[in-house]
Amino acid sequence: MVTVTEAMAARREARTAGRRRVKAAPYLFVAPFVLVFAAFSAYPIFFALQLSFTNWHGAGALRVVGFANYRYLLASPDFWQSMATSGVLWLLVVPAQVLLALTIAVALRKARFRGLFSAALIAPFVTPLVAMAQVWIILFDKDFGAVNHGLTSLGLPAVGWLTTSVWAKVTVALLVLWRTTGYAVILLLAGLSTIPSDVYEAARIDGAGAWHQFWSITVPLVTRTLSFVVVIGTLTVFQLFAEPYVVTGGGPFNGTRTAGLYLYKHITNSDLGLGAANSMLLVLMVLALSVASIRLLRSREDS
Amino acid sequence: MINSVSSPVSRRTVLRGAGAALVAGGLGACAPGNTTGSDPLPTGKATTALSGELTIWDRTGDLYKVFDKAIASFTAKHPQVKVNHLAVDINAKLPATLISGAGVPDGAFYDDSLLTGVAPHLHDLSQLIEQYKPDIAPYKLGVVTVDGKVVAVPWDLDPGLLFYREDIVTQAGVDPASLTTYDALLGAARTVRDKFPQARPIHLENDQFLAQLWIDMFANQQGGAMIDAQGKLSIDSDPYRKALTWLDTVRSEGLGTLAKYTQPTDLQTQDKGTQVFVPWAQWFVFAPQQLLKASKGKWRAAALPAWQAGGPRAGVMGGSSFVIPAKAKNPELAWRLYEHLVFSKEGYTTVYGPNTVYPGGLNTSIPSYLPALDPDTPLFRPIDALGGQDLWKVAVEAGKQVPGGYAIPTWWGKAVDYFGVNVQKMLAGRLSPDEVLKTSATQIQKNLMGPS
Repeated sequence: MVTVTEAMAARREARTAGRRRVKAAPYLFVAPFVLVFAAFSAYPIFFALQLSFTNWHGAGALRVVGFANYRYLLASPDFWQSMATSGVLWLLVVPAQVLLALTIAVALRKARFRGLFSAALIAPFVTPLVAMAQVWIILFDKDFGAVNHGLTSLGLPAVGWLTTSVWAKVTVALLVLWRTTGYAVILLLAGLSTIPSDVYEAARIDGAGAWHQFWSITVPLVTRTLSFVVVIGTLTVFQLFAEPYVVTGGGPFNGTRTAGLYLYKHITNSDLGLGAANSMLLVLMVLALSVASIRLLRSREDS
Repeated sequence: MINSVSSPVSRRTVLRGAGAALVAGGLGACAPGNTTGSDPLPTGKATTALSGELTIWDRTGDLYKVFDKAIASFTAKHPQVKVNHLAVDINAKLPATLISGAGVPDGAFYDDSLLTGVAPHLHDLSQLIEQYKPDIAPYKLGVVTVDGKVVAVPWDLDPGLLFYREDIVTQAGVDPASLTTYDALLGAARTVRDKFPQARPIHLENDQFLAQLWIDMFANQQGGAMIDAQGKLSIDSDPYRKALTWLDTVRSEGLGTLAKYTQPTDLQTQDKGTQVFVPWAQWFVFAPQQLLKASKGKWRAAALPAWQAGGPRAGVMGGSSFVIPAKAKNPELAWRLYEHLVFSKEGYTTVYGPNTVYPGGLNTSIPSYLPALDPDTPLFRPIDALGGQDLWKVAVEAGKQVPGGYAIPTWWGKAVDYFGVNVQKMLAGRLSPDEVLKTSATQIQKNLMGPS
């Protein structure tokens, strides 16, 4: 005969076994992702870290050089010039992109044919870059480009859009803005759609005007989406490679050699140790910039 | 037809590939493999019929189609050989592939100027090339030889020529035959400008990579190179100084059109006739044939002017060769294919001769294999875009004059960031020739060669 105590113990054991079974399930579910992440993200990142302390050129044994790659880069004017170029492009692209995207998204929020506009806005993002870069080169040619033709017909001087290091940055920034702003608009439209309409209704009843509604309701309630847009923008600019590669080749005078393009040079030159160290420094910089941007926006959200 | 790469890859290889991709993307790196470096490829002729499968990379575009036909002439002779011929952006993909070991082709077409950067990943072909050495243009043999080993099958020679607008030159009263020295060319440019005040007759290259390649052509013409026979930096030297001083004179006198090769300013000024003289590699001929409209048929080619009366009238700008990666699965078969393309009459005739892609033949370069360079046996036909001129004869005669003893340093590509950029600055009037040479020498020595 089974005693009450024994029966309770058996039930406890059964429950524990069930819990054990239940506990294993989540791990099994996430295992495929974890394995893929470990193989294709974690392993290469840790390997990059290891490589950054070597002078490996892709062949032969690894030779550890300590912090020499980092010292070289941090003392290299070329590295800092590439970072500065990316910094300038960030200033030219990200704030303008956020303002532009937010303005367009608010304007489109209740617009008719919103789907059509959204499709039109995303088109540059999916257009092959190389084709657009060629259009850009023709448009911004100093002597025969349509942009300078327009400027001179207005009595303004022609600009060396692709031939001076200052204006070449602006030309590249315009291409990046043109390509990526539509994507930011789509993100912000999604963010705006989560704001309940009765919030605006209440504000209107309280006498809030359009500007007041925008500043006190719209902006605070899409801050998280804006943070996301800023982080994506920051990542885009600091990894920027294709646009300057195709439009300016990093010139003139290395004036558009971005951090991404500078990194690419190490790879094509088989300087993998240096490339890995450069990657690590870039990751740190982007991380710091992204965190700072999020903090800045979050502090506004909190206030 | 463009085939896809279907060779199996190991798990470790995939991981290395992922690592290489991540480095390129700014995050990761790749694993060191057991790269064999410059392994010598076995010699000796195969006694049995050739068989097996090959993966060959060529550049995308028309050149791919031309090589496709040439490869067909090889497989027709060796039906047991299957060639997966792929059109690839080789300059972008080959270095990463060689390092990662993933999807490595058995052979690839590759720029000579970038060759030294990947040399440790290539087979040493010295023994195989030995029998052909006397028949290879000395310049080209020097270019494919890295640390005493031949690391590529030498393909084409791209002699520099002087392209000019015959109609404008004639209207200005300049005799093209008189353009025998660079001083004479300068004089001709002044004459053209006097006649046509809008003219900026001489091309000045504004792309930093091409500018470096271009000035190397001028230096090569004078027997100079960035490094001397001992491997020491020799950029701050007379050949470079002479070339830069001449270009600076062109700039300062307003005799030059500063433009990037085949970019809108370049093409428009050539078509309008304000840009009249283009000292450039033979492959400039592509522009009159494919890109220029109004000036098609009005261009002509001559040997480059000499830097001193009676001096050499040729230098080389660019060129490509065939590489066989150390990790190729079927390197012997790749060698046999390239041997057919480069050193057999059937091979080089199939590439350069008239075909469905280029009805007049491939005329943007000439073979570097000297027995193919008979002025009286042209491989390609006279060119309508050059007013029916026989470019073959002009190019072959120039090609045979190209000075040898030229070597490309391993850091040539990296030097573009210094020398190429400084030349750009000079052409913008921001540096003097001496400043370009001294600054570049210091930068290259410090950043690319280490302390002397």
